[in-house]
Amino acid sequence: MKTRFLFPYWCKYLGVILFLVHLPVYVFRKELGFTDFSPTDTGLLSGSHIFFVLTTLLMLSGLVLFAFSEEKVEDEQIAQLRMDSLQWAVYLSYIVLIGCLAFTTAHQDIKDLVRMHVWVPLMLFIILFRWKMFRNSRYSKEDAV
Amino acid sequence: MKNTIRIERAFKDITQAQLAELVGVSRQTINTIESNRYVPSTILALKIARVFEKPVEEVFILEEGD
Repeated sequence: MKTRFLFPYWCKYLGVILFLVHLPVYVFRKELGFTDFSPTDTGLLSGSHIFFVLTTLLMLSGLVLFAFSEEKVEDEQIAQLRMDSLQWAVYLSYIVLIGCLAFTTAHQDIKDLVRMHVWVPLMLFIILFRWKMFRNSRYSKEDAV
Repeated sequence: MKNTIRIERAFKDITQAQLAELVGVSRQTINTIESNRYVPSTILALKIARVFEKPVEEVFILEEGD
Protein backbone atom coordinates (compact mmCIF):
# COMPACT_ATOMS: atom_id res chain seq x y z
CA MET A 1 0.00 0.00 0.00
CA LYS A 2 1.27 3.43 -0.91
CA THR A 3 1.30 5.68 2.12
CA ARG A 4 1.66 9.40 2.28
CA PHE A 5 3.38 11.38 5.00
CA LEU A 6 4.93 8.37 6.74
CA PHE A 7 8.62 7.77 7.36
CA PRO A 8 10.22 4.55 6.05
CA TYR A 9 10.14 1.47 8.31
CA TRP A 10 13.81 1.83 9.35
CA CYS A 11 13.06 5.24 10.89
CA LYS A 12 11.26 3.40 13.71
CA TYR A 13 14.65 2.09 14.92
CA LEU A 14 16.26 5.50 14.46
CA GLY A 15 13.47 6.94 16.61
CA VAL A 16 14.15 4.43 19.39
CA ILE A 17 17.89 5.22 19.25
CA LEU A 18 17.28 8.99 19.44
CA PHE A 19 14.91 8.52 22.36
CA LEU A 20 17.39 6.29 24.20
CA VAL A 21 20.29 8.69 23.56
CA HIS A 22 18.48 11.54 25.35
CA LEU A 23 18.07 9.51 28.55
CA PRO A 24 21.76 9.32 29.66
CA VAL A 25 22.24 13.01 28.80
CA TYR A 26 19.34 13.87 31.10
CA VAL A 27 20.30 11.45 33.89
CA PHE A 28 24.04 12.35 33.88
CA ARG A 29 23.54 16.10 33.30
CA LYS A 30 25.64 16.96 36.37
CA GLU A 31 28.55 14.78 35.26
CA LEU A 32 28.32 16.24 31.73
CA GLY A 33 28.45 19.79 33.11
CA PHE A 34 24.89 20.82 32.24
CA THR A 35 24.13 22.57 35.54
CA ASP A 36 23.92 26.13 36.84
CA PHE A 37 23.01 27.79 33.56
CA SER A 38 23.59 31.53 33.54
CA PRO A 39 20.35 33.45 32.85
CA THR A 40 22.29 35.92 30.66
CA ASP A 41 23.80 33.17 28.48
CA THR A 42 21.09 32.76 25.84
CA GLY A 43 22.97 32.12 22.58
CA LEU A 44 22.64 29.11 20.30
CA LEU A 45 25.86 27.64 21.73
CA SER A 46 24.94 28.34 25.36
CA GLY A 47 24.94 25.41 27.79
CA SER A 48 21.21 25.61 28.39
CA HIS A 49 20.39 25.54 24.66
CA ILE A 50 22.76 22.64 23.95
CA PHE A 51 21.19 20.76 26.86
CA PHE A 52 17.71 21.54 25.45
CA VAL A 53 18.72 20.23 22.01
CA LEU A 54 20.33 17.08 23.45
CA THR A 55 17.33 16.23 25.63
CA THR A 56 13.97 17.68 24.59
CA LEU A 57 14.61 17.89 20.84
CA LEU A 58 16.25 14.45 20.65
CA MET A 59 13.35 12.95 22.59
CA LEU A 60 10.76 14.69 20.41
CA SER A 61 12.50 13.72 17.15
CA GLY A 62 12.71 10.13 18.39
CA LEU A 63 9.03 10.03 19.33
CA VAL A 64 7.91 11.59 16.02
CA LEU A 65 10.02 9.13 13.99
CA PHE A 66 8.81 6.15 16.03
CA ALA A 67 5.16 7.25 15.92
CA PHE A 68 4.96 8.03 12.22
CA SER A 69 7.05 5.31 10.61
CA GLU A 70 5.53 2.69 8.34
CA GLU A 71 4.87 -0.79 9.64
CA LYS A 72 6.67 -3.76 8.06
CA VAL A 73 3.51 -4.65 6.12
CA GLU A 74 1.50 -1.49 5.65
CA ASP A 75 -2.17 -1.85 4.68
CA GLU A 76 -5.50 -0.06 4.91
CA GLN A 77 -6.50 -1.60 8.24
CA ILE A 78 -3.28 -0.43 9.87
CA ALA A 79 -3.88 3.04 8.38
CA GLN A 80 -7.33 3.04 9.98
CA LEU A 81 -5.98 1.90 13.36
CA ARG A 82 -3.40 4.68 13.13
CA MET A 83 -6.05 7.30 12.42
CA ASP A 84 -8.30 6.05 15.24
CA SER A 85 -5.39 6.10 17.70
CA LEU A 86 -4.38 9.60 16.62
CA GLN A 87 -7.91 10.88 17.07
CA TRP A 88 -8.21 9.36 20.55
CA ALA A 89 -4.75 10.60 21.55
CA VAL A 90 -5.66 14.18 20.60
CA TYR A 91 -9.00 13.96 22.42
CA LEU A 92 -7.46 12.51 25.58
CA SER A 93 -4.51 14.86 25.70
CA TYR A 94 -6.72 17.93 25.28
CA ILE A 95 -9.14 16.67 27.95
CA VAL A 96 -6.16 16.24 30.31
CA LEU A 97 -4.72 19.64 29.37
CA ILE A 98 -8.02 21.51 29.75
CA GLY A 99 -8.70 19.70 33.05
CA CYS A 100 -5.25 20.57 34.40
CA LEU A 101 -5.43 24.20 33.25
CA ALA A 102 -8.84 24.61 34.86
CA PHE A 103 -7.37 23.74 38.27
CA THR A 104 -4.08 25.60 37.90
CA THR A 105 -3.58 29.25 38.70
CA ALA A 106 0.19 29.66 39.16
CA HIS A 107 1.86 31.08 36.03
CA GLN A 108 4.85 28.72 36.26
CA ASP A 109 2.60 25.67 36.55
CA ILE A 110 0.69 26.71 33.43
CA LYS A 111 3.99 27.02 31.54
CA ASP A 112 5.00 23.52 32.71
CA LEU A 113 1.63 22.09 31.67
CA VAL A 114 1.87 23.56 28.19
CA ARG A 115 5.47 22.29 27.94
CA MET A 116 4.28 18.82 28.99
CA HIS A 117 1.67 18.97 26.25
CA VAL A 118 4.47 18.94 23.67
CA TRP A 119 5.09 15.21 24.19
CA VAL A 120 1.91 13.89 25.87
CA PRO A 121 -0.20 13.59 22.65
CA LEU A 122 2.65 11.75 20.92
CA MET A 123 3.15 9.37 23.86
CA LEU A 124 -0.59 8.69 24.08
CA PHE A 125 -0.74 8.06 20.32
CA ILE A 126 2.16 5.61 20.46
CA ILE A 127 0.65 3.73 23.43
CA LEU A 128 -2.83 3.55 21.86
CA PHE A 129 -1.57 2.52 18.42
CA ARG A 130 0.80 -0.15 19.75
CA TRP A 131 -1.99 -1.47 22.01
CA LYS A 132 -4.43 -1.71 19.08
CA MET A 133 -1.78 -3.44 16.95
CA PHE A 134 -1.00 -5.88 19.76
CA ARG A 135 -4.71 -6.63 20.31
CA ASN A 136 -5.21 -7.12 16.58
CA SER A 137 -2.39 -9.63 16.26
CA ARG A 138 -3.46 -11.45 19.46
CA TYR A 139 -7.03 -11.89 18.17
CA SER A 140 -5.82 -13.24 14.87
CA LYS A 141 -3.46 -15.65 16.63
CA GLU A 142 -6.38 -16.90 18.75
CA ASP A 143 -8.52 -17.30 15.62
CA ALA A 144 -5.76 -19.17 13.82
CA VAL A 145 -5.57 -21.79 16.61
CA MET B 1 -21.54 -7.32 5.78
CA LYS B 2 -20.67 -11.01 5.83
CA ASN B 3 -18.26 -12.79 3.53
CA THR B 4 -17.37 -16.22 2.24
CA ILE B 5 -13.59 -15.82 2.29
CA ARG B 6 -13.05 -18.78 4.63
CA ILE B 7 -15.06 -21.09 2.35
CA GLU B 8 -13.42 -19.75 -0.80
CA ARG B 9 -10.00 -20.24 0.75
CA ALA B 10 -10.88 -23.83 1.58
CA PHE B 11 -12.00 -24.41 -2.04
CA LYS B 12 -8.81 -22.91 -3.38
CA ASP B 13 -6.73 -24.51 -0.61
CA ILE B 14 -4.81 -21.40 0.36
CA THR B 15 -3.94 -20.09 3.81
CA GLN B 16 -4.67 -16.63 5.22
CA ALA B 17 -1.00 -15.76 4.81
CA GLN B 18 -1.01 -16.79 1.14
CA LEU B 19 -4.16 -14.77 0.43
CA ALA B 20 -2.67 -11.81 2.29
CA GLU B 21 0.43 -11.98 0.12
CA LEU B 22 -1.63 -12.21 -3.08
CA VAL B 23 -3.61 -9.06 -2.27
CA GLY B 24 -0.75 -7.19 -0.54
CA VAL B 25 -2.01 -6.87 3.04
CA SER B 26 -1.04 -8.40 6.38
CA ARG B 27 -2.36 -11.78 7.53
CA GLN B 28 -4.04 -10.02 10.47
CA THR B 29 -6.11 -7.94 8.05
CA ILE B 30 -7.37 -11.04 6.22
CA ASN B 31 -8.18 -12.58 9.59
CA THR B 32 -10.17 -9.55 10.78
CA ILE B 33 -12.09 -9.44 7.46
CA GLU B 34 -12.90 -13.16 7.70
CA SER B 35 -14.19 -12.76 11.24
CA ASN B 36 -16.25 -9.68 10.28
CA ARG B 37 -14.27 -7.34 12.54
CA TYR B 38 -13.13 -5.16 9.64
CA VAL B 39 -14.92 -4.07 6.46
CA PRO B 40 -12.42 -3.81 3.60
CA SER B 41 -12.28 -0.97 1.09
CA THR B 42 -13.76 -1.47 -2.38
CA ILE B 43 -10.28 -1.90 -3.85
CA LEU B 44 -9.33 -4.63 -1.38
CA ALA B 45 -12.70 -6.37 -1.79
CA LEU B 46 -12.21 -6.40 -5.58
CA LYS B 47 -8.68 -7.75 -5.21
CA ILE B 48 -9.88 -10.56 -2.93
CA ALA B 49 -12.74 -11.44 -5.31
CA ARG B 50 -10.29 -11.51 -8.22
CA VAL B 51 -8.10 -14.07 -6.40
CA PHE B 52 -11.15 -16.35 -6.07
CA GLU B 53 -12.21 -15.59 -9.67
CA LYS B 54 -15.71 -14.66 -8.52
CA PRO B 55 -17.80 -11.48 -8.65
CA VAL B 56 -17.38 -9.34 -5.54
CA GLU B 57 -21.07 -9.80 -4.58
CA GLU B 58 -20.51 -13.54 -4.22
CA VAL B 59 -17.64 -13.06 -1.78
CA PHE B 60 -19.07 -10.10 0.15
CA ILE B 61 -22.77 -10.15 0.96
CA LEU B 62 -24.75 -7.25 2.40
CA GLU B 63 -26.80 -8.02 5.50
CA GLU B 64 -30.01 -6.49 6.86
CA GLY B 65 -29.14 -3.20 8.49
CA ASP B 66 -26.10 -2.50 6.31
